Amino acid sequence: MNGNVTLSLSKGAPLIVLVAVLALIPTFVHSDYLLTLVDTAGIYAIVVMGLGILLGFAGQLSLAQAAFLGIGAYTSGWLTVNLGWPVWPAMGAAMMLSALVGLVVGYPCLRLSGHYLALATIGFGIITQLVLINWKTVTNGSDGMGNIPPPQIGSFVFDTYGRYYYIILVAVLVCAYVAWRIKTTRVGRALEAIRENEIAARATGIDATRYKIIAFVLAGTYAGLAGSLLAHMTKFISPDSYSFDQSVVFLVMLIVGGSASISGAILGAVLLWFLPEVLRPLKTSYIMVYGAAVIAMIVFMPRGLIGLLEALRARVVRRPPETA
Amino acid sequence: MHFDPVANMQLLISGLAVGSIYALVALGFVLIYNAVGVVNFSQGEFVMLPAYVAVTFMVPAIAVFGTIVHWQVPVLGVYVIVLVFMAGFGLLFNRIAYHPLRDRGWMPVVISTIGVSIFLRNAAQLVWGSQPIVMPSLFSVDTIFLGPLRIRPQDILILGVTAVLITFQFYLFERTTLGKQMRATAQDRATARLVGIRVGRIVAITFVYSAVLGAVSGLLVAPLFTVTKEMGALIALKAFAASIVGGFGSIPGAIVGGLTIGVIETFGGFYVSSSYVDAIAFIILISVLLIRPQGLFGERVAEKA
Amino acid sequence: MSAPDAGAADVIAAAETGLLEVRGLVKRFGGVTAVNALNMTVRAGDIHALIGPNGSGKTTTLNVISALYRADGGSIRFDGAELIGRPAHAIARLGIARTFQNIRLFGDLSVVENVMIGRHVRTRVGFVGALLPGGATAREERATRERALELLQFVGLDGTGGASARSLPYGDQRRVEIARALASEPRLLLLDEPAAGMNPAETDTLVALLRRIREQGTTLLLIEHDMNLVMSVSDRITVLNFGQHIAEGPPDEIARNRDVITAYLGGTLDAA
Repeated sequence: MNGNVTLSLSKGAPLIVLVAVLALIPTFVHSDYLLTLVDTAGIYAIVVMGLGILLGFAGQLSLAQAAFLGIGAYTSGWLTVNLGWPVWPAMGAAMMLSALVGLVVGYPCLRLSGHYLALATIGFGIITQLVLINWKTVTNGSDGMGNIPPPQIGSFVFDTYGRYYYIILVAVLVCAYVAWRIKTTRVGRALEAIRENEIAARATGIDATRYKIIAFVLAGTYAGLAGSLLAHMTKFISPDSYSFDQSVVFLVMLIVGGSASISGAILGAVLLWFLPEVLRPLKTSYIMVYGAAVIAMIVFMPRGLIGLLEALRARVVRRPPETA
Repeated sequence: MHFDPVANMQLLISGLAVGSIYALVALGFVLIYNAVGVVNFSQGEFVMLPAYVAVTFMVPAIAVFGTIVHWQVPVLGVYVIVLVFMAGFGLLFNRIAYHPLRDRGWMPVVISTIGVSIFLRNAAQLVWGSQPIVMPSLFSVDTIFLGPLRIRPQDILILGVTAVLITFQFYLFERTTLGKQMRATAQDRATARLVGIRVGRIVAITFVYSAVLGAVSGLLVAPLFTVTKEMGALIALKAFAASIVGGFGSIPGAIVGGLTIGVIETFGGFYVSSSYVDAIAFIILISVLLIRPQGLFGERVAEKA
Repeated sequence: MSAPDAGAADVIAAAETGLLEVRGLVKRFGGVTAVNALNMTVRAGDIHALIGPNGSGKTTTLNVISALYRADGGSIRFDGAELIGRPAHAIARLGIARTFQNIRLFGDLSVVENVMIGRHVRTRVGFVGALLPGGATAREERATRERALELLQFVGLDGTGGASARSLPYGDQRRVEIARALASEPRLLLLDEPAAGMNPAETDTLVALLRRIREQGTTLLLIEHDMNLVMSVSDRITVLNFGQHIAEGPPDEIARNRDVITAYLGGTLDAA
C-alpha cells in the first residue's frame, strides 16, 4: 500500500505503455459520441480521485463533490463569458475559488464526524445548488449559462472532443500523480491513520483537524478543476447537474472502484460512466440493477474492484513479509 | 410589513403539519439509529413507496408496468394493504440491506442504504412510470374555516394522527415489555443480549416499526403534493436535519426538531424567500452543528480510550 | 501546593521537581468526579506505576494527561510546560507518547506503516513537500522506514513488518503499539495496562522490554493491575482511590501503607 516513493523501472514501464496507448486513443476513435463519453469519464475520474483523497484515504464521508463541480464550472464559465477572461486563468481561478470555499466550509464542518459531517456536506451541497438556481444575475438560473468558450493555445483551439481529450488526459495524469505522491508519503499515512483510528492518530501527534480540512480542500479543488473542464468542453452548463444525487453517483463510483486506491477511483468512474451508456436500451431497469449492485458490492466486495484484483493477485503471488 | 395574527396562525398550523411529517420521518430514522447505530439514507423511500402502493389501489385507473389496471379498493382496505406491505418491506430491508453488514461499521451500511434508495427510486419509475400521480384527498373540500382561520383539513388530519401516534409510541415504549426491550436494545445491545433479549428479533421489529411510520407519513403527505419517485428524498434529508437539531438519538428531539424546522421553514418561506425555502432546513442544521452539535436534547458521548 | 491534609507521601511529592507534575487535577463527567484534586510527581528516569482499585480514575488521569479529555481543574506540568489546554497532537509533539487499554492500532495498515506513523512528529514532509520531486522526501521516507524496522526489532517483532496490523496476535499488537509510541522519541511513555491478557512468560518479556526502554532514557508511567509486575519493575508508585491519591512512594513503602491496604479491601499487596 505505502511503498516506494520513487517509481522503479519495473513499475514505470507498464505505466509508460499505458499512457502511450491512452494518448493514441483519439487517433483511432473518431466517433464524437464515444469521445464525449471518454472525455466525460476522464473528468469524472478527477472528481472521484478527489473524493478518494478525502474518503478513501482520510475516511471522511463528504457528499458535496457535485457542489464543487458546480462552483468550478460556474466560476470558470462566468469569468470567461462575462469578463472575457482567457480560459486557462479562468480554470485556475475556478480551482482557487473551490479551494477557498473548501477551506471556509471545511473549517467548521470537519470538527464533526461520521453522519454529522455527511449531513453537513449534504446541506452545503443543497444550499449551493439552490444558489446556482436562484442567483440569476450571475448564473442565469435554470436557463443555464451558454456560449462558454473553449480553451486555446495560440491559434490551436480545443473545440473538438478529440482535441479536448488531451487536456483531460494531462489533467487526469497530473491529478493521479498528486494523489499518488500524497498516498505514498507521510501525509498519506497520516490521513490513513485518521481513517483507521482518529484518537490514536491524534495521540501520535497528527493534527487530525488540520489534515482533514486539507483533504477536504483538495477534494473540492479536484472537483472544481473537473467542473471547469466540463464547462469549457460542453460549452453549456445548468444547475440541474450539480445535485445531491450527482454527489451520490461519485460516491458509488469510488466505492465500486475501490476507495483507498487511486486506480480504483479512475476505474470506478470510467466503468460506471460507460456501463449505463452501453446498456442504454435497458436504461431504467439497468439503474435498478445498479442500485442492487451497490448493495451487493458493499456486502461482498467492500474494497471494490481494485480490492478484488489485489486479493487475487496476492493469492497468485505470495508476498514476502518485510524484513529488516 | 404588518403582522397579521390570522395569517400567522394559519402559517403556524401549516408549519406544524409539515413539521409533523418531518417529525414522523425523523422518528423512523432515530429508531433505526438507536437500535443499530446506522443512518438510513433510504428513509425517504420508506415514505415514497407506500404512497405509490396507496395510489395504486385508491385511484380508479393507473398504469402499472405500462398497462392500465383497475384495482380500486375502499379506503380502509388501502390502508391495510399499505401497512401490511410496508411491514413486510421493513423485514426485507432488515434481511437484505442491514443484516449482512451488521458487523462492518457504519459506512458500509450507509452505502448499502444509499443503494437501496437508488434501487427503489428507479424501481418506482419502472413500475409506475415517471408521470406524477395525484392521490385523491379524503376530504371533499380544500379548506375549512375554524373561526377566522382558513385551514386545510389535511393539515388537521396530519396533526391529529401524529399526536395519536406519538401518544401510542410513548405508551409502547414506557409501558409495554416490547417497548422496554426495544429501548434496552437501543441503549446497549451487548447487555440486552445478556439479559435474554433476542436482539435480532428486536432489530427486525424496529425496522418494521420504522417502515410503518414511513407508511403513515407517506399516506399523510401524499395528498399535499403529488406522488413522484423523488418525493421522499428531500423530506428525508430535512428529517435527518431535524433529528440532528433535536439531538441525534433522542426521540423527543426528533419530534421537536421536526416541528421546529417545519414551522421555521413555513414562516421563512412566506416572509423571507420562497425560492430558498428548501435551504432553510439546512441552514438551521449547519448552524446547530456549529453552535451546539448535540442538538436540543442530545447528550455528548465521550469516547473511551 | 500540596493537598490540605498532607501525609508523608504528599510532602515528599511536593518537595521534588519531577518530569511530570500533576497538581490538584480534577475531571468530572456529568455528576461524577472521576479525578478529584489529584497530585502526582513522576521523576525523570523512573518507571512509575499508577495503581488503584477499578474505577479509581487511573485511565481517566492518563487520558487527561494525553489530552484526550479536557481537565476541569488543576495543572499538569511537563518539564515545566503546562499541558492543560493543549490539544492531543501537541502533547505528543512535546514528547509524551502512549498506548491504550483497548489497543488502538491502524488495523488496515501494515505493521511497519503503523510504526512509521509514530515517527510523524519527528518528520517534516508535508503536502507541499510530497509533491515536489527531489531527494529530500525520498530520503526521509527511507529513514522513517529504517527507524520503524529498527524499533520493531527492538520490541521483538522482527520480520512481521509487512503483515496487516490487525492480523497479528493480541500480544504482538501490544508490542506494535509500544513500538509506535517509541517511534516519536518520547521522553515520557504512558502505558495503559500493557500486560493485560498476558501470561507470566509474556509478562516477563514485557518487563524486560520496559527496562530496556528505561535504559534508553525514557521515563515510563504505567497503569497496571498485575501487582507482581508493579512491585518488581516500579521505582515509584502512586495509589489512587476514588480519583484521589492516597499514597506515593517506592514499592516497599506502598506495600506497608495502611491506607493502601485498606483501599484494596484488606488484602495484601504481594499476591497478584
